[in-house]
Amino acid sequence: MINCADFVAELDNYLDGDVAAAVRVQLEHHIAHCKTCTVLVDSTRKTLKILTENGLFDLPREAFEPIAEEIMARVRTKEK
Amino acid sequence: MGLPLDSVRGYSPNRDGGQMSYFREIDVGSTFRPFTAFCEQFGFVPSLFRAQTLLSRVIEAEAALISPILFTDQALSRPQKECILLVLAAANDNAYCLNLHYQTLKLLGATEQRLDRIVVDYQRANLAPTTTAVLKLTLKLGTSQHSFSRQDLLEASSQGLADECILEAVLTAALSRLLCVLSTGVGAVSDFVPRGVPPPVHTLSLCSYFFPAAGENLGLYLHAPELNPDNFAPFAFLRDQFGSVPNVFRAQTLRPIFLEAEAFAIRSVLVPEDGLTRAQKERILLGGSHGKLAESDRALLGVAEKLATDAAEFSGSDIQALRQNGFNEEQILETVATTSLACFFNLLQVGLGAEPEFPAPWTGEQRTSAKKAHLSSSGQRLTFVAQAVDPDAECVARVLAGDLESFEELMNRHSQRVYRTLVGILGNPDEARDAMQDTFLKAFQHLAGFEGRARFSTWLVSITTNTAIQRLRERRQMESLDETFDEQFRPREVQAWTDDPERLYSRAEMRSLIENGVMRLPAKYRVVLILLDLEQLPLEEAAAALGLGIPAIKARRLRGRLMLREALAPHFIQPERKGTKGVTI
Repeated sequence: MINCADFVAELDNYLDGDVAAAVRVQLEHHIAHCKTCTVLVDSTRKTLKILTENGLFDLPREAFEPIAEEIMARVRTKEK
Repeated sequence: MGLPLDSVRGYSPNRDGGQMSYFREIDVGSTFRPFTAFCEQFGFVPSLFRAQTLLSRVIEAEAALISPILFTDQALSRPQKECILLVLAAANDNAYCLNLHYQTLKLLGATEQRLDRIVVDYQRANLAPTTTAVLKLTLKLGTSQHSFSRQDLLEASSQGLADECILEAVLTAALSRLLCVLSTGVGAVSDFVPRGVPPPVHTLSLCSYFFPAAGENLGLYLHAPELNPDNFAPFAFLRDQFGSVPNVFRAQTLRPIFLEAEAFAIRSVLVPEDGLTRAQKERILLGGSHGKLAESDRALLGVAEKLATDAAEFSGSDIQALRQNGFNEEQILETVATTSLACFFNLLQVGLGAEPEFPAPWTGEQRTSAKKAHLSSSGQRLTFVAQAVDPDAECVARVLAGDLESFEELMNRHSQRVYRTLVGILGNPDEARDAMQDTFLKAFQHLAGFEGRARFSTWLVSITTNTAIQRLRERRQMESLDETFDEQFRPREVQAWTDDPERLYSRAEMRSLIENGVMRLPAKYRVVLILLDLEQLPLEEAAAALGLGIPAIKARRLRGRLMLREALAPHFIQPERKGTKGVTI
């Protein structure tokens, strides 16, 4: 039997599908009986979804172009 | 443990038999430290080393490795390690090493009858259970590395072998590989009158070994505490040489003494250019394309490959072929020494479960038909067999050939990743933009040193990380990326979230909300989240770029995700539950 702390320790691996079948059975058995960990799994999964699907920290093309031009100018100078 | 010199007197090392190795010996003086150490430990200087006196620095490199691995009693005793070397020499049909270790064990007190039983079938030699377990592990690693897996180490652990013990066993197996390759490559003449030993029977069962399933071997096998290159000189040296500390070294941090020896060996063999060039040695040590090489360099690699894979067929004519290709004696000797070092690190990688960064080209296939017969196409080890194609390789090659505009293409491909990594560490978008210039200019300056050992993208992230850390240091606002995992983080806001959080806010609001949440994370968690979850870098690549072990980066990812979840929770919990007290677990 695993407890909530054990479950949290494996949460990442569980979300990433990186647990052995036998461990997965134990984890799923735990969340079937633990509302808190069920919420934890659901909310962490949603956190990852919104983290990855909202184009965070995008550097707009127009912001990068002058940086790239400056770098290339220095690169060409170095090569001469 | 040294051998009692008196016990050696009855032996007549076979020095006057008229046979010569492939290389002439020169006098290195009576105070040459490696030779005095060999005299103390073996009772004489084995011909294997006397054959390398033309290039004394490679002997120093080998002695530096041998001393802590073999001569020092640690988790395993000297006789146990000599037993590993004996059994592996027999299994690999290396008569020179078999004789050397057989006679050494005799001098250590073992009887011929007992040694014969160990060579023929160690499992019936009535050895201590620990020694039997160590021999089983190393025999599998040393003769069937394609099928070696985490399972073999788990089995060894279950038989009572501690991690320190396993690490030493794997190192000894790697040392056996080094000695066998060296003795073949220099044509070492037996130090004793060769003694017939019955053939081993335990190798016959190798064909029944299974290959590990894909993914089974990802990650380091043994506990490996983190060592910071800034505080540990061997790692600083390795980082300077390879761009980051290769995984095979980070897998051995349990015993820093070995890392010091390995860094010394690499320094002695790889750095000087009085024999082969650095590029020639790196091709042997690290692999890489043979496509555009000069004919002589292809011949050099061909001999190195044959030496590593086909010892039975290797002969003086291979050495002669290199002479005919214009290589001098020192260069040919250095080819042999570098090949043996490559084989050493290669076997270590397999034994420790390190991601392959020493993928010498021969290691994917064994030439002998008996072994090839059971190489299933679907079951080959992930390591060494097939290197992933780097999508940037062609572009990098164009830049190196002088096409500067291709560098702009590389920048365009990676600008977002570089920017996000910088934001992740610096925590400031404006400064991140500023640091992009430093990063790409450094990448351009060092591109000639990029040999394709890792993907270009991984290499670039390493440069980005170092640039950002340097900036943090300069502004003396160091938010450490190296702190160890501190107190246990416990989620507190554990209330159900609304079904579709993204419907609560506009995309711009949502982005701002999450970016603020990410920026408020401590840098060590923020950068891991950005590399792994935003940039989707493979775990091993991100860990390498940050100089972390796999367990450490996974711990930080978990904590970062939980902290971000906690920070966002007030915005997304179901409306009817807002204001109610959260549950603590």
